[in-house]
Amino acid sequence: MKRSGIFGILGLLNGPQTMGRGWVFWIGFVVFVVLAYLGPTHLGLKPYKINEFLISGFLAASLSILWGYCGILSLGQVAFFGIGGYVWGVIGINLWDSTGNTHLAFLGGILAPTAFAAIVGAAMFLARLKGVYIAILMLVLSLLLETFMLQTADPEVYSIGKAVLGGSNGLRPASDIPNAAFGWGESVVDFNGRRAEFYYFALTLLILTYLGLRMLLNSSFGYLLVAVREDPDRTETFGYDVRLIQLAVFCIAAAIAGLAGSLDTARINRVDPEVFGVSANIMVVIWVAVGGRKDLTAAILGAISLEWLFLWLTTSGNPEYATIVMGAILVGVMLIAPEGIFVFIGERLRVLFGKSGLFSVERKDSVI
Amino acid sequence: MNSRADTGQPQTVTGDTPIVEIRNVIKDFGGVRATDNLSLAITPGELHCMIGPNGAGKSTFFKLLMGTIRPSSGTIHFNGEDITRLAPFARARRGLGIKFQNMQVYQELTVFQNFFVPMRRHHKPAEMPELVDRILRRIHLTGLEDETVKNLSHGQQQWLSIGMSIALEPKVLLLDEPAAGMGPEETASTAEIIKALNAEGMTIIVIEHDMEFIRSLNSRTSVLHLGALFAQGSYEDIERNEDVHKIYLGKA
Repeated sequence: MKRSGIFGILGLLNGPQTMGRGWVFWIGFVVFVVLAYLGPTHLGLKPYKINEFLISGFLAASLSILWGYCGILSLGQVAFFGIGGYVWGVIGINLWDSTGNTHLAFLGGILAPTAFAAIVGAAMFLARLKGVYIAILMLVLSLLLETFMLQTADPEVYSIGKAVLGGSNGLRPASDIPNAAFGWGESVVDFNGRRAEFYYFALTLLILTYLGLRMLLNSSFGYLLVAVREDPDRTETFGYDVRLIQLAVFCIAAAIAGLAGSLDTARINRVDPEVFGVSANIMVVIWVAVGGRKDLTAAILGAISLEWLFLWLTTSGNPEYATIVMGAILVGVMLIAPEGIFVFIGERLRVLFGKSGLFSVERKDSVI
Repeated sequence: MNSRADTGQPQTVTGDTPIVEIRNVIKDFGGVRATDNLSLAITPGELHCMIGPNGAGKSTFFKLLMGTIRPSSGTIHFNGEDITRLAPFARARRGLGIKFQNMQVYQELTVFQNFFVPMRRHHKPAEMPELVDRILRRIHLTGLEDETVKNLSHGQQQWLSIGMSIALEPKVLLLDEPAAGMGPEETASTAEIIKALNAEGMTIIVIEHDMEFIRSLNSRTSVLHLGALFAQGSYEDIERNEDVHKIYLGKA
């Protein structure tokens, strides 16, 4: 448990709440990250295809900390994604001419869903709502937002400055929804969502989010999250107001989902009511469940690889079978590895490398 | 909070005023009266046992004390303060510690890590190893701090759960069936642990089925029956009480 020097930094990222805490894992991580950065230039990855996968990684991280770590299943996590996306677009459209960057759009795209989560969360958690009620309430909330946005076709009523909500057609004028852009005046850097520069930008943000969340999950707050998941009543008897812990993680998860929504609007210069739909909501739950909800790494990898797999199935061979094949794979994975495929793989690797006793930072079993 | 910052010892409160006082508490679940006009006072430093047949309202009594359920009427005082409407976490902060009936330890974590959650509010991480060590000695788990909890025996997990509750340094410790599922040797050790804690000045209320265990604690005992206080006295009094034998055999 002693932390100093390089082990100190690793120590903050490592802990019982995240899989992968030894040298083997971190060497693998660095190799993976380097390969990811080389993807568009050396490995033939097409940014216009894979940029979307990175965004699903944020959403998976968001649901993983909420559901996997704190035990709060939300079937409406994309509500925050959608709010983030719309707010980003509205601010982007209105401020682009005067600022030439999207700093405030990102700020709003993260803060608005967080504030919304604070209000909804306070109502739910202070009322000590539990389990399936929260899951369904969030789904209903997301669908209400979809229904509301669908009926915003009248530009006379539903416009905010230059931005028109536009009903089922989505936010208009679409041509005025900017790319993600940072900097001032001459030195503005613009990230075109279909190009590699956006890929590098989103990848860097995803890695930073991942490392930041690892620190959070392995801090004492992370212990509290797991404690609340395992037994909220017991945790309360230790003097913690469980409702505040639930509210805190709900807001953090909303902020990350909002960031994902902001990035997505910036990526395709478009946002429409479909972002709030049932299928969007269910997809997030599937990514996280199949990847492994109780581990951040597994959840993110699950989202990215399922998206990738689905794209591959629909673009190669017989696309008409893609959904069926995908469904069969999901059922198969859930039967073989109910805790998630990447948690399953991670545990096998831990056994494999743990036995060798090499490279361990703290103890034999902490290699992976 | 600072007043009980750095010792593993519970604060001793002396004097005659009860540290826990239940007055005319009634709890109805739908049409069922789980607690029927119960009044009870626990003096500081006391070791108090509660027995009664299944459905007598023992666990309900603990839940009322801890605040996971609220009484339909009546009041609960702790240390002179009316805590009837307080949330469980607020009661915990005032010095009520509890080990519920089920185990309530974190199976996947090590013994040491299990103390993170109960200790985090009062102690810096740097202080933890020594404090944990001190508690482990009291609950017969010395040297097992790095063991994963799921590898511990059932009895050891029960002790760990007690240890996590005393890590809060509570003024009053509530133990719901601390010896449940234990063999004779472990049961005897559990009684030893409880008596040692009580000898250090901690007020402890124990709910138990096992009469052998109650006998070894040999303290003031209350008998609950159909949610009401049926009898109270020393263990010998209770053991001699014919009516108590009858309710246990379902004749009263």
